[in-house]
Parts: sequence; structure tokens; C-alpha cells
Amino acid sequence: MRRFLASLRDGVGFDILLVGAAMVFLLAMAGLPLIYNVLMSFQQVDMFTLGSLIRPWAGFQNYIDVVRAPEFWMVTRNTIIFVFFSMAGQFVIGFALALFFAQNFPGASTIRGLFLVSWVMPGLVVGAIWSWILAGDFGVLNTILKSLGIIQSNVFWKSDPSFSIWAVVIANIWLGLAFNMLLLSVGLAAIPRDLYEAAELDGANAFQRFLTITLPMMRSTIGAVLSLGLIGTLQQFDLFPAITEGGPANTSTVAQYWSWQMSFQLYDFAKGATISVMMLVLVLIASIIYVRSTRHEVRG
Amino acid sequence: MTRPYIPWLLLAVALALAAVYLFPLYWMYVTSVKSGSEIFANPPTFWPREIDLSIYPNVWTRRTMHVFLWNSTLIAAGVTAITVIFGTGCAYVLARYRNVWVDIGLFSVLMLQVLPASVMVTPLFVAFNQFGLLNYPRTAVVLAAAAKAMPFFVVLVRATFMTVPRELEEAALVDGNSRVGAFFSIVLPLARNGILVCAILTFMSSFGEYIYSKSIIQAPALQPASVGLSGFLGPNSTDWNSIMAYSAIYVTPILAVFVLLQRRIVSGLTSGALK
Repeated sequence: MRRFLASLRDGVGFDILLVGAAMVFLLAMAGLPLIYNVLMSFQQVDMFTLGSLIRPWAGFQNYIDVVRAPEFWMVTRNTIIFVFFSMAGQFVIGFALALFFAQNFPGASTIRGLFLVSWVMPGLVVGAIWSWILAGDFGVLNTILKSLGIIQSNVFWKSDPSFSIWAVVIANIWLGLAFNMLLLSVGLAAIPRDLYEAAELDGANAFQRFLTITLPMMRSTIGAVLSLGLIGTLQQFDLFPAITEGGPANTSTVAQYWSWQMSFQLYDFAKGATISVMMLVLVLIASIIYVRSTRHEVRG
Repeated sequence: MTRPYIPWLLLAVALALAAVYLFPLYWMYVTSVKSGSEIFANPPTFWPREIDLSIYPNVWTRRTMHVFLWNSTLIAAGVTAITVIFGTGCAYVLARYRNVWVDIGLFSVLMLQVLPASVMVTPLFVAFNQFGLLNYPRTAVVLAAAAKAMPFFVVLVRATFMTVPRELEEAALVDGNSRVGAFFSIVLPLARNGILVCAILTFMSSFGEYIYSKSIIQAPALQPASVGLSGFLGPNSTDWNSIMAYSAIYVTPILAVFVLLQRRIVSGLTSGALK
């Protein structure tokens, strides 16, 4: 017993205690729920069995029901649009801004830092502001687009079925691009300057330098940023209740919002769990790419 | 540079880009001080004709914001406390050693970091229901949100501990300090600033936590400000100056802290999230 206490105070026991406490907590609050989620997706869960662990086995019935649901393909399409265009927008604009702020001018890092306010704001507030900017009749975005001559009449971003998902995409690009920019800036700063100088002496123009130096040198950063973008987009939830609530007629519902609606608006917890398990497969693929591309840096 | 005006030109472009990017924030503040009729002016006025601040006390009392903000503060404080207490030690050990166990630990932390809250909320709700935790909804939200916040905290703080030289700790051990003593008197003080910045980041992000609170907390008196905002926000809202005033009251403290600590936050993020 005394040896055990001594090891806690002055040996390996101390390390195990520190890691163990965190790991037990994470296991209880994240690991077990995850397994429980998979279990529930194979069970019949209703108001009567909600309180018990052993419930009637459903096999793959929940999965079949989800895929056969009338909104399934709509939600899949929306999720693909949301994920792809959010990531593309965040990455392209973020990369362009990172390249711009990598130039040498006074105040570059301070102004770049200001962009991060979007990242620290509560998602629901961002959603509220964009919901107002995108409003159909009195929204400021329509006014700006009309004065630029891009559109002729008001676009009803939130209530037009063909635009509702794009309303959330626009808000999400704004929300996420600052973080993309910051990470890409760090990657840019790590490229040795003399590479560019040597290429310039050899007569390479700016575009060639970008293609042959910047892009190859940034490969692992880009991999990490893209997978973080995928993970972040699949985690994005707050914008949906704030801007469209998935409507009109599910035209802006994505998988993560659908799963939540199933559980907490229709109280069909089994289907909610099923949808989230299906989504989880996507997240796991992204995170394996992410872990692989950051491994070297994280191990430091 | 042979042409000296180019940096200033770039600065002007940078300021213009920042202005465009931060326009939504400006629009929030401007809308909140406009009168009810001016909001629906067509075309909208980019500078308010008259500034009317009466909406702020109005929204504050009508929406019982002191209750919501107090709950947000409680939840964020709880999440931050749990995250810092459990996360700091974990990050320290993961930074101190390099072996296969640390690799496994890091891998699982990174994997947990990517789990979406919308995936976790269904099993957590059902499990909390079974354990009776739903009777203490704020505690339940704190536990759930802390598990969400901790992996990111561990990754960032681990990078801070990596910058503390091992030699200092070893010197303390040689001088007869115990591991516990060396940790508390040498390592922690040296990593203090980094831990503080990460704790503030955790606080700010859990101050805006929405999905767990919305799903778990039913009683309005216990809900945080994000759920309070969602109560009068939807695709058909029209009460825009109240919504924007509410948002402004909600985010101004966060923005103030961010602007004050901007440099530290950015450097903390860049050293940890990715190199």
C-alpha cells in the first residue's frame, strides 16, 4: 500500500493517474455512448423501452427504414452539397486570403487575427446574423447583389426550395474560412524563403512558383485542413436551427440535423441513432486521413 | 521591394478585405440600434438615421436575459473546470513520453475530437435518462460538453508542454523534488500562459454551446443564452432589431475578450492545432 502511494507521488503511478482520470472520463462520456449508439441502432426504441437497456432486437430494420424514408435521398443530396461546397468555399477563399496575408506589409498578422472572430462566436448568433442578412424582402445581401447587377429581383434564400441549402452553405463558409486561413498561413510560413529566391533566380514566375513550390510543400497541411474541414462541416449544427430549420420541406436538412430531428422532435431515438451511425462512418474516414496527416507534427 | 508604396497598398487591400469579412458583425450592431420602421426601409440604410438604444434594456428584461446569461456562465465555467482539471494532466503525460502507449492515447484523443455533438446527443440523452441525470440537466450538459471540449484542449495544451524543457524538470528531480512537486512547482508555472489561453478558448466555445442544452434542458429557467435566442429565432422571424440586440449583448463580452487576447489566442492555436 505504501509502495503504491509512493508510486503515485513519485513514479509511474503519477502518470497513470493523470492520464487515467481523463481517459476514464472520456470513455464514460464519449466511448461508451458511441457503442451504445450502435447498439440502439439495432434495437426497437420507443417510449416504453426508453428506460431499459435490453430492448427488442430489430436487426437491420432501422437501417432499411431510414434508407426507404421519403426524405432519405433529399437529405443525402443536401449533405453532399453542404459538405462539398462548404469545404470548397472555405478552402479556396481561405487559401487565397492566406497567400495574401503572407505578403510582407505592416499589420498583416493583426488584421489576419481579426478574421478569427467568426470562429469564437456562438454558432447560433452567426446563424441569427446571416438569417437576417439573407432575409428575402429586407435582407441586405439582396440589396447588395441587386446594386451590383448580379440579380434582378429578390432571392428568397431561406424559403425558396432551390436556394435554402445554399443559404446555410454561405453562412458556413463565412464561419469556417477564418480557421482554414489560419492553418494554411502556418503552413505557408513554414516554407523556407530561399526556395522561392532560388526559383526566382531560375526565372520561374509567381504562378510557377506556386505550383512547384507552395503546393508540394503544403501537401500535409492541405490534407489536414481538408479533413478538418470535412469534420467541421459534419459537426456544423447550430446554423440549421437558426437559419432554415431544415425547411422548406426538408430541402435544407442534412444528415446531422435529420438525426437530431428524429430523436428530439419525433422521439424516434432508434432512427436518430441509425442516421448518426451512418454519418459516423464518414467522420471516421475523414479522421483517419486527418490523423495520418498530422501524426508527425503532433508527435513533434 | 523597390517600390516603397506597395506595402501600404497591401495594407489598404487588407483593411478592405477585413471590412467585407466583418460586415456581418457591423450589421448586427447597426440593426440593433435602428428603429423598428427603419429596419424595413427599402433600400436598407447602411448608417442608421437615428440611434435608438432603448431596445437593449427592453430586450434584456423582456427576454429575461440575466437568467439565460447566468446559466451560460455556469455551464461554461463547469465545462472549463472539468476540462482543465482532467485535460491538463493528460496533456502533460502525453507530451512527456514517446512510446506506443502515448501513440494509442493520442490517437484515441484525436478520434474523440472529431465526434460530432449531433451524433453523441442521442445516446447521451437516452443514457442520462436511464441514470436519472436528466433531473440535473445543467450538470448533464456540463458533463457532455466537457467530453466534447476536452480532446481539443488536450491537443493544444500538449503542444504547450512540449515547449517546457525536460531538463528543468529533471534538475528538480535531482534536487530531491518528487514527481508531484516538480509538476506543480516547475512544469505547471512554466506552461501557465498556454493553459490559460486554452482554458479561455474552452470557456468561449462552451459559452455558445447549443445542441446539448437544447436537447437536454427543458425548463426555461435553466437554459443558456443560446437556447434563449433560438426561442424567438426561426425562418419566419421578423423581430430583427430585438434578435440583433440580444445577439449583440450575448457576443460582445466574447468579442471583447477575443480582441484583448487576440495575439495569444492565435499563437496558441497555431502552435497546437497544426505545425
